[in-house]
Amino acid sequence: MSYTQHETPALAELCSFLVQDIYGELAARVYSILARYGRQNLNQLVRASYLNRRQISLGLVTLVQSHLVFHSSRVSPVTAYEIDWQQSYALVRFGKVVKSVEDRFGKNASAIVGNLLEHGHTRIGDLKNALFPPQNPSEDYGDEGTNGAGAKRKRANGTNANGADGKVNGIVNGATNGALEEEQGTGAPDKMYLKTVDEFYDAIHLLMQTGWVMKVDEMQYLSPGDYHQVALTQVLDERWNGQMPSGTKDKGNVKKDLCQRKRNIRDAWAEPPQFVKTKRNPNSGTYEQSNKRIKINGTHALPSSGGGDNFDNAEDRLPIRINRDKIAVAMRTDQLVRLAEQRLGTTTARIYEIMLREIESQVPRCFEEWPDPPPDPKSAEPPPPPPTYLVTTREVELRTKDFDICEGLDPQAVSKITGRSLDRNLKMEDPVDPADLGQYQRFELIHAHIDLLSRDPFRFVTWHSGSGHSEWQIEFGEIAQRHIQQEIENTVSARKPQFGLKLIRALKKKGKLDERQAGLTMMIPAAEIRGVVNDLAVQGFVQTQEVPKVERREAKHSIHLIWYDRQRAREKLLHDTYKGMIRIIQRIAFEREKVQAVLEKAERTDVRGNESRFLGRDELDMLNSWKDVEERLLLQLSREDDLVAILRDFHGALISS
Amino acid sequence: MLRLDINKKFEPLRSCVGMHKKLHDHYNFQIIFEMATEPSASATPVKQENGVASAAGTASRFDQLYDKCATSPPGTVFFQRDLSALQVADTMEELLGLINGLCAQHLLKQLLFDNEPCWKLRDRREAEKLRTLTPDEHVLYQHIDQAQNEGVWSKALRAKTNFAQPTLTKCLKSLESKDLVQSIMSVKFPARKMYLLKYLTPSEDIAGGLWQNNGDFDMAMIDELSNAARQKIEELTCVRVPAKWNNYQRSERAAAIAHKKAHVLGLRDIEDGAPVRPYKLPVHGSSTRLVYKSNPTYPTATTMAAWLNGTDVLKGKVARDVDMEQLLEMMVLDGRLEKASAISYRTALNINDTKTLNGFVDAPCGTCPVFDLCADDGDISARTCVYFGEWLGTESEEIY
Ligand code: SF4
Repeated sequence: MSYTQHETPALAELCSFLVQDIYGELAARVYSILARYGRQNLNQLVRASYLNRRQISLGLVTLVQSHLVFHSSRVSPVTAYEIDWQQSYALVRFGKVVKSVEDRFGKNASAIVGNLLEHGHTRIGDLKNALFPPQNPSEDYGDEGTNGAGAKRKRANGTNANGADGKVNGIVNGATNGALEEEQGTGAPDKMYLKTVDEFYDAIHLLMQTGWVMKVDEMQYLSPGDYHQVALTQVLDERWNGQMPSGTKDKGNVKKDLCQRKRNIRDAWAEPPQFVKTKRNPNSGTYEQSNKRIKINGTHALPSSGGGDNFDNAEDRLPIRINRDKIAVAMRTDQLVRLAEQRLGTTTARIYEIMLREIESQVPRCFEEWPDPPPDPKSAEPPPPPPTYLVTTREVELRTKDFDICEGLDPQAVSKITGRSLDRNLKMEDPVDPADLGQYQRFELIHAHIDLLSRDPFRFVTWHSGSGHSEWQIEFGEIAQRHIQQEIENTVSARKPQFGLKLIRALKKKGKLDERQAGLTMMIPAAEIRGVVNDLAVQGFVQTQEVPKVERREAKHSIHLIWYDRQRAREKLLHDTYKGMIRIIQRIAFEREKVQAVLEKAERTDVRGNESRFLGRDELDMLNSWKDVEERLLLQLSREDDLVAILRDFHGALISS
Repeated sequence: MLRLDINKKFEPLRSCVGMHKKLHDHYNFQIIFEMATEPSASATPVKQENGVASAAGTASRFDQLYDKCATSPPGTVFFQRDLSALQVADTMEELLGLINGLCAQHLLKQLLFDNEPCWKLRDRREAEKLRTLTPDEHVLYQHIDQAQNEGVWSKALRAKTNFAQPTLTKCLKSLESKDLVQSIMSVKFPARKMYLLKYLTPSEDIAGGLWQNNGDFDMAMIDELSNAARQKIEELTCVRVPAKWNNYQRSERAAAIAHKKAHVLGLRDIEDGAPVRPYKLPVHGSSTRLVYKSNPTYPTATTMAAWLNGTDVLKGKVARDVDMEQLLEMMVLDGRLEKASAISYRTALNINDTKTLNGFVDAPCGTCPVFDLCADDGDISARTCVYFGEWLGTESEEIY
């Protein structure tokens, strides 16, 4: 089972909150049953709850459509349902994802991604129709009353997950996505993005090419356990006559084949399909289903069962969804840039960002879940080297035209490269505009930044080959490990400002120590250590052990050892962070409760837009301060999510410390 | 106190010159156990022995010899020929008489070197104290003296002397109260109490290195010196860049490009490849900041030790490479330095002044003392939480 699919009570609780916030009460009720009892079929679900069969089915449909729940209809006669924890947790980062995509590919793409996130998946044609309603847009605009589903229409007009539902907005998007929300207000007719159907298809192609969007496949609905079973059966049928071989060596081979099979199936999903590029007319050939909305799909488990295949090309019939692996890759870029910025300053971090983004499209995922050969704790062989991704200085230079690459460097180095002298205060006597420098000098300057990155203890980049405009590689695995360590250290030093950090580092460096040795390494009296050790041991960041020296187990005659296990600390911190996120969500709910009455008033249709007229002074104040509080809490939630990504999504299990 | 400094200074010699090494190394001397004498009677027998000279004359002869010896550097070892060369006594017999007398008064300490007797001078005040010792105390004193700066464990003393524990304790107490010996806790064996003469500096083995004092870390000294080292390393590896150090006028063209880019961003053709997001451009850093030097010579424990010994902050003590390494490694642990390579160091810069750690600990729950007790509802929960209330500036639910 995947490392990231680990479930803890805190995660289950957190996800239940998220589902409830976004998909409402019914889905959340069903979800929480699954969270509590694990894998269940429909009958079991009915027995375990007060809901009737119809209600449960309805809830399940929502959950399945959003990919929050796996189901086994493909492999077993009685369908069993099981929660997809990763996908459920990902609800919290929807806003962030839209933002990331916008950063990388612009608003056209982010609008599409927003839609896909909200719906789980959709056929390309349906999405197109929703974004480019075939009838006259102004007509659509006018039928508010008859349509009765304002949210639906708004979505159809090409906004993102934001618009669909006040709740989605509140939980995922509030803090990070203010800019986009503003756009909504301006209305569809003169929107800034996705103006033509061609733009729409181009954006889809770009997203598929870069791996952000992938095909929907039946296999994706299988839980990791079922997936394993299917892949195993396939492997056994093909090469071993359907029987599990008995020899150790053969078993090893099966294992290897199995991993490969799992990889192959998965990789096929992200394979961008080849479509003939045709000029399209937004209004041609799609009039018949003008009233069709994406939502129709929502009631069906699989898009193929949707309301009739009346799209005339294969492309429009293709169901697509977001590729979660790619989200983690993008978050990794962002977090690494943030780290580099903290350590080396904005400009160098900017160079690093360019390097990372340069290779992002080649990186399908942060780490391989089914490596080749499969990890074997018994074999002494080191795991295979991860794929290398290379960037050259030249590629970086191309993207640095719009900022000052002299900044953040030692003035002496800049002076040497540009040949201009410095005065006594290290100021340029003849200031130089980097835009005017020759290419060679610009290479040198960028080189100086990259050099800073490579010298940092984090080893942000590693020299690979070539002189002059060298090739650089980024060793993500190593960096991710240091990153995890760094976050653990940050946490410990916040909790135990005095000696916490020192102790963790001392133990990491030296292994198991007793109090006296720890004191010597940290250069503090051994007596000071006990308190810190006790607290950190209670918090689960260090472990202690008593080794008796004599036969009777007596405290006085024992050696008391302290040690630190990175993986344990990592899991503890992850768990604590989930819990911290729950508390924030609960606090948001509590704060909202306090202003509930005002909020309800403010949301009345007659008050909307005329707040200043209908609301009293203190009511307005309350609303404003609630908004501030909410924003602050959401921002913090999103930062805790960043931490979760660092701890969980960038690296597989750490074998030893 | 002086004497010990001398010992320190001689230390390098010990390792390189054979003969000198032997001369100054206590372990090559065999201490001749002085006769324990009754304090009151100590001086008198000598006088009687030296019937030739008048009492007063002899006494002054004693002083003469002592004073002459005292002009040599403290800690000097005198052989018989050295003493006769001082020309205080007229005959060898007289000289021996004087020496015996001084020994009896504990002003000289007799040693054996290659079976040849030799002597060392004792401080007058110390000698005076010695004269007040009981015989038992005296035996102990000599054992402790023998161990020199390695110290001797109280259990070992007992084994050597066969004293009963109460006697031993009493005598040691008395010696300590007379300021003749000191006891310290061994660093190697923290449960062991080691005894050594008061004026000696305990050896590294029992007292730890430069940074330890009496078995404990000298926190004040560590603080002071680690700060000094941090500053020095910052000088060596970083450079402070003034604000607006490269204050160029942005050329029209570049400005136009940047402007256009920001403008186009929303509408940019998606096939344009990877985008450049609108970015707050760091135009000429507006405040001074530290950056890493481009061609630093990274300091190592050796160069830093040499630097420290070159200043006189240590007041006569010497920092060895291992001492410095211990200090620098400790500073890596507490985040002031980072390793530039396996043996060299540099300053750890933290660019943000604002202390943001991570999303979890910056929120109240991350450092909450009742984190583990906090539940979904009940007395401690997000609703009733005072920390959230403080952080957000909002009211929490009251609990009664
Ligand atoms: S909600 Fe309050 S009491 Fe509960 S863990 Fe967080 S800070 Fe502590």
